[in-house]
Amino acid sequence: MKESRRDFVKKAGCALGMAGLATQFVHFGRMSVLAQRSRDAAKKQGSLGTTGYKAIVCVFLGGGNDGNNTLVPLHTDSGISNYNDYAAARSAAGLALAQGSLLPISVPAMGNLSYGMHPAFGQQTNGNAGIHPLWATGKLAWVTNVGTLVSPMTKAQYQNNSIAKPSQLFSHLDQVNQYQAGRSDTFSFSGWGGRLSDDMNQSSNPGGLIPMVTSIDGAALFTAGQTTQPMAIDDSSTPLNEVLNPIGFGNDSWSQARLAAFNQIRSLDLNNNYVNAASNVTEAAMQANEALSTFQEVTVGFPNTGIGRQLKQVARLIKKQADLNVERQVFYTERGGFDTHNGQLNAQNNNLAQVSQAVRAFYDEMVVQGRESEVTVFMMTDFGRTMNPAGSGGNVGSDHGWGNHMFVLGGAVNGGDFYGVDTSNGTPFPNLTIDGPDDATSNAANARGRWIPTTGVEQYAATIARWFGLPEADIPLVFPNIGAFSTSNLGFMG
Amino acid sequence: MFSRKCPRAVALIAFAVFISTGFVFAQSDPNPNSPSPVLLEGETNRALAAPADKSMKAAASKANRGGSDVFSPDQEILLYVAETPLSVDEDANAFRVYARDANNRIYRFPILGIDKLSQDEQVYVLRIKLHDEIGFWPQPQPTGDLLIQVSWRGMASNQLLLGFGKTGGLKFDPPKKAADEKNLGDSDDYVGYRWSGDRKRFLEQATFGPTKDLDQRVRRIGLRVWLAEQFNAPYPSAANPYPDYVLKPAQQDVGCPFQRGTPEYIECVRTYYTQYPVMNWFFKEAFYGDAQLRHRVAWALSQLWVTSGQTIQQSSHMIAYHKVLSAHAFGNYRDLMKDMTLNPAMGDYLDMARSTKNTPNENYAREILQLFTVGLFMLNQDGTLQTGNGGAPIPTYSQDTVNNFTKVFTGFRFCNVGCPNSTDGAVNFKDPLVLQQNLHDVTAKTLLDYPNAVNKNIAANLNGNTELDLALDNIFNHPNLGPFVGRFLIQHLVTSDPSPAYVSRVAAAFNNNGAGIRGDMKAVVKAILLDPEARGDVKTDPFYGKLREPVQLTTNIYRQFDVLSADRTQPSDGVVFWLPQLMGQFPFYANTVFNYYTPNYIVPGTSLLAPEFGIMNTGTAIQRTNMTTIMSFVNIDPDPGATWPTPVGSSIDVNDLIQLSSEDPTGNSVVDELDRRLMHSTMSPEMRQSILTAMAPIAQFDHNFKVRTALFLIASSSQYQIQR
Repeated sequence: MKESRRDFVKKAGCALGMAGLATQFVHFGRMSVLAQRSRDAAKKQGSLGTTGYKAIVCVFLGGGNDGNNTLVPLHTDSGISNYNDYAAARSAAGLALAQGSLLPISVPAMGNLSYGMHPAFGQQTNGNAGIHPLWATGKLAWVTNVGTLVSPMTKAQYQNNSIAKPSQLFSHLDQVNQYQAGRSDTFSFSGWGGRLSDDMNQSSNPGGLIPMVTSIDGAALFTAGQTTQPMAIDDSSTPLNEVLNPIGFGNDSWSQARLAAFNQIRSLDLNNNYVNAASNVTEAAMQANEALSTFQEVTVGFPNTGIGRQLKQVARLIKKQADLNVERQVFYTERGGFDTHNGQLNAQNNNLAQVSQAVRAFYDEMVVQGRESEVTVFMMTDFGRTMNPAGSGGNVGSDHGWGNHMFVLGGAVNGGDFYGVDTSNGTPFPNLTIDGPDDATSNAANARGRWIPTTGVEQYAATIARWFGLPEADIPLVFPNIGAFSTSNLGFMG
Repeated sequence: MFSRKCPRAVALIAFAVFISTGFVFAQSDPNPNSPSPVLLEGETNRALAAPADKSMKAAASKANRGGSDVFSPDQEILLYVAETPLSVDEDANAFRVYARDANNRIYRFPILGIDKLSQDEQVYVLRIKLHDEIGFWPQPQPTGDLLIQVSWRGMASNQLLLGFGKTGGLKFDPPKKAADEKNLGDSDDYVGYRWSGDRKRFLEQATFGPTKDLDQRVRRIGLRVWLAEQFNAPYPSAANPYPDYVLKPAQQDVGCPFQRGTPEYIECVRTYYTQYPVMNWFFKEAFYGDAQLRHRVAWALSQLWVTSGQTIQQSSHMIAYHKVLSAHAFGNYRDLMKDMTLNPAMGDYLDMARSTKNTPNENYAREILQLFTVGLFMLNQDGTLQTGNGGAPIPTYSQDTVNNFTKVFTGFRFCNVGCPNSTDGAVNFKDPLVLQQNLHDVTAKTLLDYPNAVNKNIAANLNGNTELDLALDNIFNHPNLGPFVGRFLIQHLVTSDPSPAYVSRVAAAFNNNGAGIRGDMKAVVKAILLDPEARGDVKTDPFYGKLREPVQLTTNIYRQFDVLSADRTQPSDGVVFWLPQLMGQFPFYANTVFNYYTPNYIVPGTSLLAPEFGIMNTGTAIQRTNMTTIMSFVNIDPDPGATWPTPVGSSIDVNDLIQLSSEDPTGNSVVDELDRRLMHSTMSPEMRQSILTAMAPIAQFDHNFKVRTALFLIASSSQYQIQR
C-alpha cells in the first residue's frame, strides 16, 4: 500500500526530531512579501469571470483495474453473457463476487438488463457515500470495453496478425504509455493531457498564472506536452500556499540576499542541458508559488486517503480558479495498487472503495462550488485483467488483460448508460466467454479471457477533449491516430 | 588517514586496509583527460562540409572550402573532426552530432560512417545524415542555419553553423571559453593520481560522496588500486552489520503482542514490520562504510531488481533480499539472476512463490525478461535498437514466450519446513524458495530465440530445478544482456545518456571479462568507471551528466561535511530517509516494480534522456531546495519526547570553512574551497559573484552563517545538483 510520509511516520512512530526542526525555523519565516506583491499585481490586471470554465480530472487506477469484477452482469438472460457465465469462469478459483453483493444498475443500452457495480462503489461502513447513486441521477456513465488499439480488430485479425497490434500488449509500462499518450500506433513522448495544453493553453488561459495541467501525483506521461510542462504538487496534506514555498527565507536582509542569489544562480550556466532542465523546473515552481500564496479551504469533508487528499487538492485549486486566471484546467490523480495478481478480493475492494469515496466527495464539493457541470472526472488504467483467475483461494488474483471499462462522472455527463463501440454480440459489453469471440487468446491451454477492445482509448479521450473545448479541427493534432476509428464522439458528454 | 571523528571500529578497518595496500603507487593510471574535439571550420563560424555522394576521401578534396553551401533534409554529408585520437575500439558510434534550430529545438543526426582523412593528419571524416534520430520533435525544417556541435567522450567541440535549406536565421553566440583550462588546484606534489577534478568526479560515481580521507587515498593509490581494494573490502562494515531480525508472523498483533499504541508496540512494529531499520542501516553504511563501491552498486541493482516495502512486509525480508544484491554486486550476473529468482521477497513481490502449474502467474516471467535482463527490443551491442522491416524495432519475445517462462517458474514455494530459518507461524523469507515438483509444470517449453540461442527448447518431464538453470542460461546468454545491464549501470553511476561507444565497451566487458567469462560484474563496474567517457577533470558535452537522485544528493552533502550526530559526539543514527522521501525517492519503498523512475524518461518539452527527472517536478524541485536548506543550516536533532531508544540525529561540520572565513573575510577562500570540494572547480565567475554578494550583508563575525549560506547556494543550484 502506498503511504504518505506522514502515515509512515505515524505508523512507525518515529518522530525524527521534526519539532526540533520547526523551532530552528522560527526565525526564517516565509517568502511572503514577493508572493503578496505578485498577487496584488495580478488583481490589478482584473480577474476573469468564471463563465465558460471547464476542467477535466483524470483518476488513474495504477496497475490495471480488474474490469471483470468492476461491472458484472447481474441478469440471467440466456441470450447474452449473464451472471452464471461470469460465475462459471471465476467462482471455482474464488474470484467471483456474490450476486447479492453487487450494486444493481439498469442499463438502457443493454435493453434495460441489470448489471452490477462492484460493492465498493456503494456506501461504506465508515459512512462515506460512493458513486453508485450517481448512476440513478444521471451523472455517472460507464464506457465499456475500452482499450489500446492501432485500429479496430476482430479475433481473426488478431490471430492471423493481419492488422497491427499495439506494441507490447499486457506490459504495464507500454500500455500505461499508450493510455496516457492517447495513441497506440507509435511510441509517444507526450500525453494527451499535455497535448491539450500545447494546443489550447495560449488561447484559453492567456495570462494564466499556473500551467494548464496540474499533477497531484508526480510525473505522468498524460501531463507532459511536447512544448508545455505540467505543474506537479503534493496532495492536500500540504496547504496550497506551502506546496511550492521554499522554507527558510524571511524578510531580513540576509534572507533576501540569499533568495536573490538563489534566483540569479538559476539563470546561469545553462549551457549544459541537464542544468538547464533542472533550473527550468525550479523556475516554474517559483513562479507558481507566487500565484498560490493564499487559498480558501473546501467545504466538503474528503476521506483522508491518498486519492482523497489528491482530489481535495484539485478541489482547492478549482476553488481558486479566478485568482489563477485560468479558464481551462487538466488534472491528474492516481491511486495505485490495482495490479492484483494475488489477494485481489481484499485489495480491489479497498482500492475501489477509496477511489469511489474520494470521487464522490469531490463531486459533492463541485456541487457546493456550483461547478458540477463544469468539471468532469474520468478514469483510466493500465489495461483490463484476465477473466481466468490467477491462483486460487485466499491468494486469488488475475493477470494482465486488455479491454476494460471506464467511469466518467459529472454534471455534463449523459449518465446512467453504457457507451462504446459494439462488441461481437451487438452491444457495448463484451461476451465473457473464455476463448469466445471477444477473447484475443485461444486454444484451451492459453486462453485466459483477454477482451479485444472495441472502443479505442483515443475515441474515449477525444469525446472528453471535445467537451473540454478542443476545436474540431484540432482533434487530429492531439489524437493523431483518431482517423483509424469510426467516430471521435462516443456521445457520453452533453 | 582517517578522521578522528569516525567510529572507532570503522577507523580501525580503514587503518588496516591502509597498511596492507597503502604504498602502491599509481603509475597505472593514465592521464584521464581526453581533448576537446574540433569541428573544422570553412568560412568564419561555418562548418566545413561536403555532400557525401562521392567516396569519403574523394569528397574531402572537394569539400566546401567556402562553407556557404546549403544542404537538404535527409541528405548525407561529410563533416571533419580533429583532435580526437581514437583508441582501437572506437568507431563512428563514439561520436554524436547535435544540431539546434532557430526554435531552440535540439536534434541528433546519425553517423553512418567514419574514415581517416589521411594517415598523417589526425582528421576524421564523419558521414552523417541530416535526419533527426531522437524523434521527439518533428524533423527540422530546411529554413535556415543549424548550429551544430560534435561530442566525443563527454567533451564538446566548438559550435558552427550549417546551412539547412538556406543560410541565416540563427542568432549565433560565439562559443564561450571552455572551463577545462582552469587551474584545478594541483599541488606541487606530482605523486599519485593528481587529477583533482577527476578524483572528485570518480568518487561521486563510485561512492555515496567524496570525503577528504577518500580523496587523499585515491590520490595516493590511484583509481585501479582503489578499485581492487574495493572489490575485496569486507561488507557491510564491522561497525554496521546487517540488522538480524527474526521472522515474524504475518499478523502484526501476533508478532508484536503488546497493547496497541503503547511504546513497546510501536517500536516492535517499526522494527519488524517496516523498513525503518533497513533504511537507517543503509544510510549509516553510506555515511561511514568502507566498502562504498559495493554499497553503491548494490543500491543501483536494487533499482533494477526492484522490490518494495509497500508490499514486502518485514525488515528481515528486505534484508535477505539486499544480501543477494550485495553478495553478487561483484560476482557473476548469472548467479544474481538465480539467487534473485529464488529470493522469497522477490517471489512474494512478483508472485512467483504462488505460481503453480494449475494456477500459473505470469508476473515474474514477464518482468524478469522486460525489466531485469533482456528488455523489450533487440539491441545492438552498443545499446541502440536493432530495426527490422520499415525501421521498426524488433521485439525480443512474444506473449507466447512469457507463457512458456511462466511455466518454468511454477512450483517454487517458501521453505516453511525443514530449512535452516524455517520458523513456526512465520513465512520463511530468509532461505531460497524450494521446488515442489508436483506443482511444477513439466510440459515442454520454447524459450527465447536469438542467434546461437542456448536452451531454446526445453524437453518435457524435467526436474524443475534443472529446468530453472536451463531457462536462466537461455536468458543469460541472450546478446541483449550486456548492453541492457551495462547501459543501466552507466546511467546510475555516471551519465544519463551515454554514447553508444561507451555502452559498447561496457557490454564487451560483460560479454567477456578478458578471461572468457561472461557476466563478471567486477569487469563491468571497472569498465564503467575507467572508461574515457567517465574519466577526466571536466566534461563539456552539454548532454553529459545526470541529476543526482535524492539519496545521492543527501549522502553527498552529509559525507562532504563529516556527518556525525547532532551533538557531534558519535556517528549519525542514519535516520535521514525522510529527506530523499520528501524529494520523491522513499528508499526501499518504490511505488512499483518500475523503480522510482524509468531508464527511458524524457524531460517534457525537451528531447533530453534523463531518468532521474522522472521524480523532478515543480513540487520535488522545491523540496530539493528545502532539504538542502535543512542540510545546510539545521542540525537534525534527536527527538526529546521519544519513548524508545532515542536517535542521536545528524549534523554537518563546517569548522574548517569557518576558519577560512575568519582568515579571509572577503569570502573568496570559502567559495574557492566549496568550489573545489563540491563542483571540482567548475564554478562560473558569475555564480561565484552571486554567492559572494549574498554573503556580503551577513554580519562580519558570523562566519558560520556566511559559510552555510554559501554552502546552501551551491548545494541548491542546478549546477551542483547535476552530477557531471
